[in-house]
Amino acid sequence: MTIAALSSLLPLPVAIPLAGAVTAPLLARASSRLAVIVSLLAMAGSAAILLIEAPAVFGGRVIAQYLGNWRPAGGHVLGVTFAADPFGLLVALAAALIGAILLLYTLSELGGLGHRELGGYACLFQLLIAAVIGAALTADLFNLFVWFEVAALSSYGLAGFFLERPIALEAAFKVLVLTTLASFSVFVGAGLEYARHGALSFAQLHHALAGHAGPADAIALGLLIAGFATKAGLAPFHGWLADVHTAAPGPVNALFSALMDALGVVAIVRLVFQVYGVHGLPVLGLLMALGLGSALLGGIMALAQDDLKRLLAYDTISQVGIVVIGFATGNSAGVAGGVYHLVNHAAFKALLFLAAGAVLHRTGRTRLSELGGLARRMPVATAAFVLGALSIAGIPPLNGYVSLSLIHSGLQQDHETIPYVLTLAAQVITAAALGRAAWLGFFRPRRGEYEWQERVRPGMLTALVSLGAGCIAFGAFGPEVLRRLMAPAAAGLLHPGRYASAVLAGSGRLPALAVPFDYGSPAELISVGLSVLVAAALAWLYLRIREPLPVRVLRAAHTGSANDYAGYAIAGTLLVIAALRFA
Amino acid sequence: MILVNYLAAAALLSIGLYAVLTRRNMIKMVMGLSLMEAATYLFMISLAYRSGSTAPVLLSPPPGQTEHSLVHGNVADPVLQNFCLTAVVIGVAVTAVFLSVVVRIAQHYRTLDSDRVRELRG
Repeated sequence: MTIAALSSLLPLPVAIPLAGAVTAPLLARASSRLAVIVSLLAMAGSAAILLIEAPAVFGGRVIAQYLGNWRPAGGHVLGVTFAADPFGLLVALAAALIGAILLLYTLSELGGLGHRELGGYACLFQLLIAAVIGAALTADLFNLFVWFEVAALSSYGLAGFFLERPIALEAAFKVLVLTTLASFSVFVGAGLEYARHGALSFAQLHHALAGHAGPADAIALGLLIAGFATKAGLAPFHGWLADVHTAAPGPVNALFSALMDALGVVAIVRLVFQVYGVHGLPVLGLLMALGLGSALLGGIMALAQDDLKRLLAYDTISQVGIVVIGFATGNSAGVAGGVYHLVNHAAFKALLFLAAGAVLHRTGRTRLSELGGLARRMPVATAAFVLGALSIAGIPPLNGYVSLSLIHSGLQQDHETIPYVLTLAAQVITAAALGRAAWLGFFRPRRGEYEWQERVRPGMLTALVSLGAGCIAFGAFGPEVLRRLMAPAAAGLLHPGRYASAVLAGSGRLPALAVPFDYGSPAELISVGLSVLVAAALAWLYLRIREPLPVRVLRAAHTGSANDYAGYAIAGTLLVIAALRFA
Repeated sequence: MILVNYLAAAALLSIGLYAVLTRRNMIKMVMGLSLMEAATYLFMISLAYRSGSTAPVLLSPPPGQTEHSLVHGNVADPVLQNFCLTAVVIGVAVTAVFLSVVVRIAQHYRTLDSDRVRELRG
């Protein structure tokens, strides 16, 4: 297909789910299942269009589409531009495919809900995925803000979806407060950049900013990073994340953790690499600090949780932290590892949340202290959970191994010893938290029988199996995936000038980037083996001691009050701005 | 002249932030957020202003100016005003969702005190 044809298809992956979102509540009047089935088809259609774009884009081409046919004149972009670079297309593709899997699971688990509930659910679900795809493909700062808000509004609805559960309302209130604050931050940041440079297109801003960003630009970037970090769930902007996940149904957890967080990460990465450039402002150091803080805090908090979903939610904070650490290295191995881990996280965290959702569906319980003995009673859910946990722990040949080794080699390349050690520590703690959960929930013997609730249906099993297969495939074919998908994505981020000129010219080529990766590297295998042993020992120890002081302090800081969480977010925003402005 | 706008925006932002951080009544928190929102609009509109400029409506020029002078220059920046229009629309929707959540919380918990609505913590 010609580049012009590919470019004209580019708005469709967003337009199809948007149209699906409008029709879903109407179709639900006829049949509630029909609404979900049509949404599923919409996701599949969106994914199909993205797949048509894929060969050209992953071959190193950047394809742009000027919406409303407002072409750039004299280097000035007049309208909104959509640009598919390998990084954006990868995230958009992951969103569409995982979205389809989650809708299949929904059809199976929640298919019996009333037509109003399911119609609204299908509508909000597709709006959120459309927002993630839009944010991944857009090359316009204000458009990015709009997708942020679309994702935010639909997430409010989904967070409070079980309106009859009071905790869902409490969680919805917290996410509303924090995301609204974040939206002000993004809004003012975008406005400041426009007022200074008279441009919203990433390409024009890149030419105005790269290398010579002034103090006002530093403040604007600080506001933008703080706003999108709230969506990504980075500490200290993460107050909403665990609460929302505790209260929402399984597929919504998976949607938030796997895809909505990705929106925040994509926005931060685009702004840092492709708009501002990594030279000039101390932005990589800031990302490293945010990533390490989130990775450690999320891991420690996960270790202390009793609620399975809450545990997984804190683990999301930790994993997003690790993704950001990968990007913060700024070298090709680390950035490719960050992209890789972002996609892997979407797969294995969706798998873990769906497994937890299946457990809740079948037993009606999510507290680890009330669970146990599921390995014999629910073998598929157990296998899914263990597979997800092993992926996070980075066991070869699962997907986590490849991305984590790349991030490690990125850290080692630049001799960043302290971040490397802290990253390893965060991973060990996370693995220990998941190991503890696997023992308490699935393998620990349990005497009494459960009061079984609903059955696990074929759609749920299909979703678990396909996500699990994705985790295995992205691990087993690691070098191939890296060469064909992740290395081009990293090339787009590391050559921002090429991306910018492609956005202005309508299409362009990215240089090829070779990212070396040794599957059987002895040092990496030894480090994996050691960290699993330490994690097992830590999990064993943690089950036997009373809560240590750092954990108690951190838990006490998570007061559950919306005022406090807003305070943390504001303090974090000021710190981010100060770091960029004065460091 | 325009400095007053920036000062007013800063004052509004501070009052709103104070309410969000210290008021435990959820309605007051929503009011605080609305004040902060208003402050961002005022800030944006002020950024759009240029000294001596007119409204960016190019239909018929105000007295003393020709169409030519409007096309070539002295109008307030319409893009930032469009920003605000978009954000106002989004803001209305968010406030509606916000208040409906607060109403449901009040129905379930029989309180508006955010400090008494924190089952989820730690």
